[in-house]
Amino acid sequence: MAKQLGFFIDQNYCTGCKTCQIACKDKNDLPIGVVWRHVAEWVGGSTNRFNGAVETSAFAYYTSIACNHCEDPICIKVCPTTAIHKGDDGIVSIDDSLCVGCRLCEWACPYGAPQFDAARGVETKCNFCADYLAEGREPACVAACPSRVIEFGELSELRSKHGTINDIAPLPDSSITRPSLVIAPSRNAQPNGSLNGSVVNPKELV
Amino acid sequence: MDTQETPLVIFTILAQMSVGAFVVNGILHVFARRKNAKAGIDKLSDPALYAIGPVMVVALLISLAHLGDPLHALNTMNNFGRSWLSREIVFGVAFAGLAIAFSVVHKREWLTPLLHEILAAVTALFGLAFIFSQAMIYVIPTIPAWDSWATPVSFFITTFLLGSLAVGVDFVAVTTLPGMRSRHGGDTRPLLYQSLRWISASALILLGVQFVVEPTYALELSSKGGAAARSANLLLLGGGSAFVAEMILFFAGGALIALFLHLIRAGTPDAPAEATAASAGAGVAGAGLSQRVMVYAVSTAFVCVLASEVLGRMLFYTSNVRIGF
Repeated sequence: MAKQLGFFIDQNYCTGCKTCQIACKDKNDLPIGVVWRHVAEWVGGSTNRFNGAVETSAFAYYTSIACNHCEDPICIKVCPTTAIHKGDDGIVSIDDSLCVGCRLCEWACPYGAPQFDAARGVETKCNFCADYLAEGREPACVAACPSRVIEFGELSELRSKHGTINDIAPLPDSSITRPSLVIAPSRNAQPNGSLNGSVVNPKELV
Repeated sequence: MDTQETPLVIFTILAQMSVGAFVVNGILHVFARRKNAKAGIDKLSDPALYAIGPVMVVALLISLAHLGDPLHALNTMNNFGRSWLSREIVFGVAFAGLAIAFSVVHKREWLTPLLHEILAAVTALFGLAFIFSQAMIYVIPTIPAWDSWATPVSFFITTFLLGSLAVGVDFVAVTTLPGMRSRHGGDTRPLLYQSLRWISASALILLGVQFVVEPTYALELSSKGGAAARSANLLLLGGGSAFVAEMILFFAGGALIALFLHLIRAGTPDAPAEATAASAGAGVAGAGLSQRVMVYAVSTAFVCVLASEVLGRMLFYTSNVRIGF
């Protein structure tokens, strides 16, 4: 069993098609308004007229994010009920029988991972498709990606293979929760906190 | 403006007012004891004291409306070691229980005076721990607007401001309203005026402090950029003119308290109340009028400040902008 599972996202080949998001929603049978994996579109640069010529530095890139099963999960710290816990394989999951639906984890998580299921009155989130893993299958998002940009595996192996970068806009400073996430940055990737660009699909990330 | 958190707005305001009223009552009792006026101050403060427990219970019940699954409410105390929300609920329930216990002990005149005072002090400490925990829930590193010194500072200002004004309203009502006055025989006026002078002066100082804290905090937020600046924008403009209304109500409350302080000084010379009562008929009528004006002034000031604090708290929740996704 892995010690800490994590995700790897290659921004260079992500087209922002959101098949991962839909595959996740389908596999986990998520109700309207609940998305465990979502894709941010960051758009920046500018277009200027200079000496009669038009120059542009406009760019866009996508970041597909679900729960990062952080090493220092802020959701676990703020949860009053101890419903959120970290398993042996590093997977962070929520125990429905304890959750009170106070939504504090949802406020605190800088990746928007905990999602409130209004009908059941509890928080829900990505559980790394633990049932699929037990059957030896890939998580639904990984299996569905047409560009093959999502990988999963032991975090230390992902890091030795792809590096340790995960501080990219619009992601938060990774020192806050230490996400189990590795990113191959787009050539236009901006550091987190960058003012060059903004998320242009904020309503899809709520 | 965000109205989704209305249960939390009502809960935090009522809870802070309750703790504030308990602590202010305690401080007034300490001062009164020095003057051997314990019976007098009890007469004035008993209605407020007996209201604190029930108001806290109502506040806690309203907070349940915030929960997705209220049947799991008891679980909120599970994570006392790590979660400020757990600590808030534990201290809040303890404060409510102790405040009710203290009311019963006080009414039945159980326990020795010393034990009585120890119980009051313990209750007050639980109340203050409750408000501190309540503030720390919001000091989350991922929400810059809340992750600020201003969160605990403004929660405690609200606590003592609403607490002292609530006690002030109670004192004036007890001595002025016909039904209540008859139940409280004996002359408590000198004590009343002195207490009210203290209450008004501290309320004015707290209003002044908040008048400095609010804009300083908003400026600090807007200068930080990113999520903090978005919060500053929501705080100042997100509620339409709510921020301006908050400031106007705040200022009106302060002006009324100042007027009230003036009325106390002008309408009640330091001479004993019997002298005032024994003076000419016109004098008695004048004193009666000023008494009524005082009731209007202090209760209107309370309503203005309460409305201003409610608007402020609604804007606090509206300014919730997280970093990252």
